[in-house]
Amino acid sequence: MRIALSLAVALTALSATPSLAADGQHLFQENCSACHQVTGKGVPGAFPALAGSKVAQGDPKDPITRVLNGRGGMPAFGGELSDAEISSILTYVRGAWGNKAKPIAPTDVASLRTGAKRENAKASLQAH
Amino acid sequence: MGSQFMMGGGVSRRRFLEGLGGIGGSSLLMAGMSALGFGIASAQAAPPKLTGGGGKRVVVLGAGVAGMTSAYELSRAGYDVVVLEARGFAGGRCQTARKGFQLTELGGETQNCDFDDGLYINHGPWRIPYHHQSTLHYTKEFNVPLEIFVNDNDNSYVMFDKGKGPLAGKPVRKGQVAADIRGAAAEMLAKQVKQGALDQQMTADDREAFIAYLVHEGYLTNDLAYKGTEGRGFDVDPGPGVVPGPGKPSTPFPFTDVLHSNAWRTLSSVTAYDQQRTMFQPVGGMDRIAKGFEGAIGKLIRYNHVVKKLRQNDKGVEVAYVDGDGVSGVIKADYCICAIPLSVLRQMDIEVSKPFKEAIGAVSYALVGKIGMQMKRRFWEEDHHIYGGHIYYDDPDINSMALPSTGWQSKKGIILGYYQFGANAAKVSALSPAERQALSAKAGSKVFPEFADNVETSFSAAWHRIEHNLGGWAQWSDDARKDAYPLLCEPDGRIYLTGEHLSYLTGWQAGGIESAWQQIAKLHARVHAA
Repeated sequence: MRIALSLAVALTALSATPSLAADGQHLFQENCSACHQVTGKGVPGAFPALAGSKVAQGDPKDPITRVLNGRGGMPAFGGELSDAEISSILTYVRGAWGNKAKPIAPTDVASLRTGAKRENAKASLQAH
Repeated sequence: MGSQFMMGGGVSRRRFLEGLGGIGGSSLLMAGMSALGFGIASAQAAPPKLTGGGGKRVVVLGAGVAGMTSAYELSRAGYDVVVLEARGFAGGRCQTARKGFQLTELGGETQNCDFDDGLYINHGPWRIPYHHQSTLHYTKEFNVPLEIFVNDNDNSYVMFDKGKGPLAGKPVRKGQVAADIRGAAAEMLAKQVKQGALDQQMTADDREAFIAYLVHEGYLTNDLAYKGTEGRGFDVDPGPGVVPGPGKPSTPFPFTDVLHSNAWRTLSSVTAYDQQRTMFQPVGGMDRIAKGFEGAIGKLIRYNHVVKKLRQNDKGVEVAYVDGDGVSGVIKADYCICAIPLSVLRQMDIEVSKPFKEAIGAVSYALVGKIGMQMKRRFWEEDHHIYGGHIYYDDPDINSMALPSTGWQSKKGIILGYYQFGANAAKVSALSPAERQALSAKAGSKVFPEFADNVETSFSAAWHRIEHNLGGWAQWSDDARKDAYPLLCEPDGRIYLTGEHLSYLTGWQAGGIESAWQQIAKLHARVHAA
């Protein structure tokens, strides 16, 4: 499912076609909505809103880095999601809920991937 | 894990130890000696001995394990302690879900746990390694009965969907994987040594001893072959008489099948430090520990008091709160012990220095999801002969399942259906409770054909979405450990932070307890120096 989706996204990458936006929405709901909510409004005092967010709509470097490496309470998605999937999600976020920012391309994501890892970030079968 | 104390700047061991003795008395000194490798029992096995608090007033924020440890020890030392707790119950993350337990995750629907009487899931901390002497100090102090938590079980299954070959994607007994891969490895190495591969590196005597070790390690035959071993189980179990009599030995899996399956990824020479085979759990649920503290200092706790603001000056601290009736108030004290998780604290209005505030924001919190699945029948015991332990599964949405270490041979039981982290926990937590149950049932059925049909009800928790916690535990980056962490371990004015986040035992109750011991020792030393 995810592989098929990645291929589809990769094939249509760079142009924010309606199908890409739909994939981005689906991927957002699957991976991000637990905290940021499907409305993009977040939960005050806990999870930041993406609707109207300056960071989300700003220099692509910031939102891409946050999704790749995590920050604060947000996990790193770099190991879970492909460049195409992350660009698709961010393109959706930058155009949804009244947001108006340019799409992000998979190559933008690829260029920001780094080896930076947190403590315990490696896959583990057990924690506490 | 490594050494728990950094000694930069040319501080000698002796000076370091003298410093500890000066501020915290002999127990801290002992702890320091242990951390430096002098080998004195556990890191921090007992609380600091404090006397003469002289009625100084301390406000403790948060009635979790660290907050209650602080309150208990300080009140015994003669301090005037008050604890503010945001929830209607004490324990913090030390929670147990049983019938009647209610949870509403942020952005989620309300779950009312409807397990049968006597059944429960520890959706927070769930086990105590034998070397967490600090946690065991309080289970003993509060007479909390313990039972063994089976943290390793050779008869349990490992499940590797992403492996290759005939063993991939089906449950395989962990002990069989261990016997076969280690047997094969020992055989290959032993034969190489025998053929002279290490003649340059080893004396003849050492080669012989090494081969003897490999024969022992891998259950090799006299001609250095691995042909299976009793411990991996029998095709027909031995028994009485002539039939079954000696039984029928089992046949090892082909070496390459085991290798390609990836199932060996669950094996290591010894367990990780915090994954000891011998662990404990309180009989009846982890929250027995919280109840133990509550029995001793419950009268000091003001429940449903949510902290809104924290102020301080050179005279004292002021905590503004709103209580359960929506009434605002202020508590004044000489000092504050703040046991609020940094994930929550960083979003609060607190008066601390700018570097301190920035340090609070430097830590990440783990996203963690767990689900307890009530099963009609203990099919894992009855049909598979697995009593406790974990099912390791390489689907990161599941990660591991666990079979209950309690209620042996009773009618029903609660299986931990998944225990996932990070991005996978984010994803699973977007599902409704019913969808989470379905996810677990589907995965569980791949391991146990009986799984889905036996599911009666479930209770799930996603710690990053739980108010007042916003995460399972602190996760420090190497950089933040260097800069932010030491800063937060020291007081900012009259405010002392404490919790698992200020330890190298993050995510364990022992981390919270030992951090509390360290902080109150510092506070006490300061009060006495004044």
